Amino acid sequence: MSESPPPSPPPPSRRALVLATCVGGCALALAAGGPAVAMVFAPLSENGRGGRWGRTIKLDQLEEGAPKRVAVVDDRRDAWSVERGVELGSVWLVRRGDEVIALSAVCPHLGCSVNAVEGGGAAGFSCPCHTSAFDLSGKRTSGPSPRDLDRLETRIEDGHVMVDFRRFRIGIAQKVET
Amino acid sequence: MIRRILDFIDERTGIRSLASHLLDEPIRGGARWAYVFGSALLASFMVQAVTGVALMTSYAPSDKTAWASVHFIQFQQAGGWLVRGLHHFGAQAMVVLLGFHIAQVSIFGAYKRPREVTWWLGLGLMAITLGFALTGYLLPWDQKGYWATRVATNIAGTVPVVGDATQRLLQGGPEYGSLTLTRFYTLHVVFLPALLVALVLAHVALFRRHGVTPPASADTSRVDAFFPKQLFKDTVAALVVVAIVFALAIGAHGAPLDAPADPSSDYPARPEWYFLALFQLLKYFHGSLEIVGTVVLPGLVAAYLVALPFLDRKEGTALRTRIKPLVPLAVVGLAVIVLTAKAVADDARDAEFQKERAKADARAKAAVRLAMDGVPPEGPLVMLARAPEIRGPELFDRHCASCHVLGEHGSEKDRTAPKLDGWSTEKWILDMLHDPDGDERFGRTPYKGEMPSMDVKPADADESWSPMSQEDMKAAAAFLAREGDPPGTPPPPGSLRSDEKLVARGEEIVRTRCTTCHLFRGEGDDGGQGLAPELAGYGSFAWVRAQIANPSSKETYREAALDPERKGHMPRFDAELSPADIDLLAKWVLDVARR
Repeated sequence: MSESPPPSPPPPSRRALVLATCVGGCALALAAGGPAVAMVFAPLSENGRGGRWGRTIKLDQLEEGAPKRVAVVDDRRDAWSVERGVELGSVWLVRRGDEVIALSAVCPHLGCSVNAVEGGGAAGFSCPCHTSAFDLSGKRTSGPSPRDLDRLETRIEDGHVMVDFRRFRIGIAQKVET
Repeated sequence: MIRRILDFIDERTGIRSLASHLLDEPIRGGARWAYVFGSALLASFMVQAVTGVALMTSYAPSDKTAWASVHFIQFQQAGGWLVRGLHHFGAQAMVVLLGFHIAQVSIFGAYKRPREVTWWLGLGLMAITLGFALTGYLLPWDQKGYWATRVATNIAGTVPVVGDATQRLLQGGPEYGSLTLTRFYTLHVVFLPALLVALVLAHVALFRRHGVTPPASADTSRVDAFFPKQLFKDTVAALVVVAIVFALAIGAHGAPLDAPADPSSDYPARPEWYFLALFQLLKYFHGSLEIVGTVVLPGLVAAYLVALPFLDRKEGTALRTRIKPLVPLAVVGLAVIVLTAKAVADDARDAEFQKERAKADARAKAAVRLAMDGVPPEGPLVMLARAPEIRGPELFDRHCASCHVLGEHGSEKDRTAPKLDGWSTEKWILDMLHDPDGDERFGRTPYKGEMPSMDVKPADADESWSPMSQEDMKAAAAFLAREGDPPGTPPPPGSLRSDEKLVARGEEIVRTRCTTCHLFRGEGDDGGQGLAPELAGYGSFAWVRAQIANPSSKETYREAALDPERKGHMPRFDAELSPADIDLLAKWVLDVARR
């Protein structure tokens, strides 16, 4: 009965143990953090909602060359909620004969809301934040804005001005939708 | 007895050696007032933590509830205003103390080898503190915080390559919404505090490891213990800071609360005062240079601060040997002061901004007052949209002010319809009977000349014309004004219509003499012109409501009123205004016209 015990496998080297512990630790971290990171980073892959044609006011209510601020009303989906018929934002309308120019009221500089400037020759728009100024067609005349006001498409339907409401990235020279 | 309890605890935890380790730290060169800023910052942070947790117990982060819950804390909950005020001014105190701390450390040369990592951790803590300020500003979800924070996230979006992703991660999507608020809240109450505590522990541990940096001229043979000499000074400084914060919070009765955030409004956005220099900087870099103001210059300042220990490597901390590396810091400090002053001066001189600001303040005041009765579950914007005093002037400006004038609404120069101030009051009706074509009435409308004066003979009148007596005119005015009173309300004492007999006589006059042209209870207008309106209920809420909805419904004017040939008649608004909005508008117009 004095058989020598079967040769036991060589003890794992310290290096293998360190490696295994590291791998295990990383797996734990991944298990705990991975799903959380995926959730937190979800907005990266989310797209903007694109355009939405919204009805604004009647063409008759627009005076030639006098800018008018109108709210675009539509349903708003925001995360878990949906609201019917709320003001999504506002646009400036400028009538030129039977055509209407629609300009996003969001200043392309840093996203404040632009106001109309009254006064004969210098009529146009100005931003109350960083003094960007634009003419009635939305062209930048002075101030820091990197581009002109963003034009939105319009069409006339049943005498009403319809606007294709969109939002664009702020603070860059190119007009890119969010 | 106490000693025995302490012995018991100490034997099991070693609390005594821990306490002596914490308290007996030697201060080489002696305790100094200059060293108090770090402790004062820590004390301020404690105040922020305590008040912040208290605020969390009442705050509800969603776009429908955030503003309402902050309003509740500020105006209704006992002690809420004080806690919120302490948190608000405590945050500003931390920013100020940060400035002092960084100035002291720079002047004393405490960033020099071997304390570089302590310095970097401090810079990280500064960034975290500013992050707290930025995220906290949005949480009330009021106009001020909403618009200023939008600018801040848009600035993040201008950073090349990672900008768009950063902005989306902060906003929780491509646009502002509920997720923006929950994300900022998470950053403010979990992420940033955890990071701050971790960095503070490391910062303080390293500070303990290396000790203070006394001025070059200090007598380093003098050594004080942290407790009590330095701790006493630290406590006094922290108490002074807290006292100032209390005074500010009590003086302002809490903290300001602007109107609820409204994405479709216009608002003259400004950041908190300590970001005004950065705000002003953005005005100077135009077009494609924008990024210089948003990212490059602030980035360079940050990079310089990080690199400072490497740029200042000479032996010794004497100030005069370190002028060169410190000059840029002084320039930045000076620039911050100049830019801030310029931003304030620009706004003070800008009449347009002052006007916008006054408008926003009036809206804030009204919103705060309305919310005292509670905010509906649909949120504060719906509350405002249902309030005549808020929604009324907005609707009037949008739909009525291109023709009418009422109070400060509409342009007197461009007016083409009657001025509505005083409309349908006794005085107005008397004026109307006497001179319908007066400038404030039909004088500027296409209907000038249609209604004759009752007491001035028209040029084309024949001999049978006789003027209406003053008494009859008063009677008619009394009756018509009474028609406009809400049902069941007594006439105001002293008014013409408080005389019942006069009102009865007026009714008879209106029924017999005015119905040649006017309708009265659906009858009259014998010539069938359809030009003159119904006088029953004239000036009442129902009349005004009907007139706004559709002036050709016969409740006011007749079908012919909107005949395409009748140019310049008031149009109908029931297509573009909801019934609720028409109610609101009618109520507001009447309230203001008769004020």
